[in-house]
Amino acid sequence: MTVQPFRLTDAAFAALGAGRPGKGTLDALRRAEHSRNLLLLRQLRRQVSDTPEWYAGLRAVPPEEAARWTADPMTGLWATHALRTASGSTPPPAPPGGHLLTATCEDLTLTVRLEDAEPVRARLGLTPAGPVTPSGLEHWRTCLEQAWARLVRRHRPAAEILAAVLRVIVPVELDPSAEGISATSAEAFGAVAMSAPPGPGALAAGLVHEIQHSLLNATHLLFDLVKPDGPVGYSPWRDDPRPAFGVLHGAYAYLAVTRFHRSEPGPMAAFEFARRRTSVADAAEGLLRGGELTRAGTRFVRALLDEVRPWLDEPVEPETRRLADLANNDHRVRWRLRNLTVTEADTARLVHAWRAGEAPPAAEAVLAAGSGRALENSPRLPLVRALVKGEPAAGAGADQACVRGDDGAAVTAYQRELGVDRGNESAWSGLALVSPSPALRRRPEVVRAVARAVPEAEIGALADWLPG
Amino acid sequence: MHAGTDGDEPEEWRSVMPDVSASTLAELLEHDDSALARAVRRVTDDSAHREPIAGFNSAL
Repeated sequence: MTVQPFRLTDAAFAALGAGRPGKGTLDALRRAEHSRNLLLLRQLRRQVSDTPEWYAGLRAVPPEEAARWTADPMTGLWATHALRTASGSTPPPAPPGGHLLTATCEDLTLTVRLEDAEPVRARLGLTPAGPVTPSGLEHWRTCLEQAWARLVRRHRPAAEILAAVLRVIVPVELDPSAEGISATSAEAFGAVAMSAPPGPGALAAGLVHEIQHSLLNATHLLFDLVKPDGPVGYSPWRDDPRPAFGVLHGAYAYLAVTRFHRSEPGPMAAFEFARRRTSVADAAEGLLRGGELTRAGTRFVRALLDEVRPWLDEPVEPETRRLADLANNDHRVRWRLRNLTVTEADTARLVHAWRAGEAPPAAEAVLAAGSGRALENSPRLPLVRALVKGEPAAGAGADQACVRGDDGAAVTAYQRELGVDRGNESAWSGLALVSPSPALRRRPEVVRAVARAVPEAEIGALADWLPG
Repeated sequence: MHAGTDGDEPEEWRSVMPDVSASTLAELLEHDDSALARAVRRVTDDSAHREPIAGFNSAL
């Protein structure tokens, strides 16, 4: 046997970076992940002298059936786990079975297995739901058929990617803090863990999003895209600090989601398009500036940025654009307040200077300890979405004023709330969104640190004193 | 890692991971060389350093 590398032309590699892989590239990614599974299984077999049951079973079936098992996402997931733990705590997956769902529209068919039984499915990162009930199965089937029709008719390239890559959906428990949750593991190419979708639109968008993670994981298996062990920083899609590869995952997934919304009708799609195109472009530019990409990674991200950049010039209603910018800024200031802090020493120097009537000394924001993963939505986001749908943001609250664009009223209301409690994080992030002060808008964590240490000081005066 | 020209980008990108997908597991078990050993290290090391990616809130 000969061992040869995979080869991609530069044009094919750039198309992959742009989220438009050709059939040949998709085939290469599938073969790469099958190669991975085979190598993991080889290692597992070599670790023991006696023939394990799974290997004897594999030898006893026809080659095509054996290849189906070795290429299956659940097999890759199990082999990774078995090698990592060196234990037989999770049994090897049975030959692919489960609930087979098939959706056909025009000439394109999606065949996917709803996997609700294999114990190894718990390794996908989310809590698996129990066995699918008959009514649950009908819900999945209906949603998938309608989602597939929508994808094939409006988003044909995305549908072709899904038909080539998606093999398994693992139903998971709904996270109470999220409207819908899904995940993709690097250890299970072509598998998606997903809570029961509220409808076909959410399922279509969710699958488009998740399959990008599989594509990127397979690409990273072939080519190192990011240097190892780099620093963590801001990601527009997560509340916790992320390494460069995590930011790239988000950018690549949301590139496809942005393209999806670009071709969808209605004000909510326009809002999501306006919101995500900026996030993706900003993240790609940050990655290219950051110095953590390899040569291949730089090529990949340049292609990604070239794809999204023209979308930034496409017309969007001014009010939709304002709300999209507000949602993006809201995430950024909340991220800063959640994850950044000022050291005690810097805070003490700032407090001393304020009380002495001196100019503020320099203070750097640093990562706060223990700022782990979370799923937290801004309290303003539902109000923004309501406005996008044409529902009025009535009410006298600070958040209502903020999303209406009445910055003056919002500043007054947030400052009133902080006058009662300077620990009110939602008021801090709201004030950072609407304040005319550059310090509050750009570095709210610094203003917050000093304001808490000097409770007698008026927040507006502190913000004006601090540099932006 | 990459077959290239002297220009900005190579004409072709070659993977660090080999294609063994056409082989059977039995064939791979009989085969031993440095390229395969490197590939095994890549997939096993890789497994130790990745994490599931989660957290998409569908907003439709």
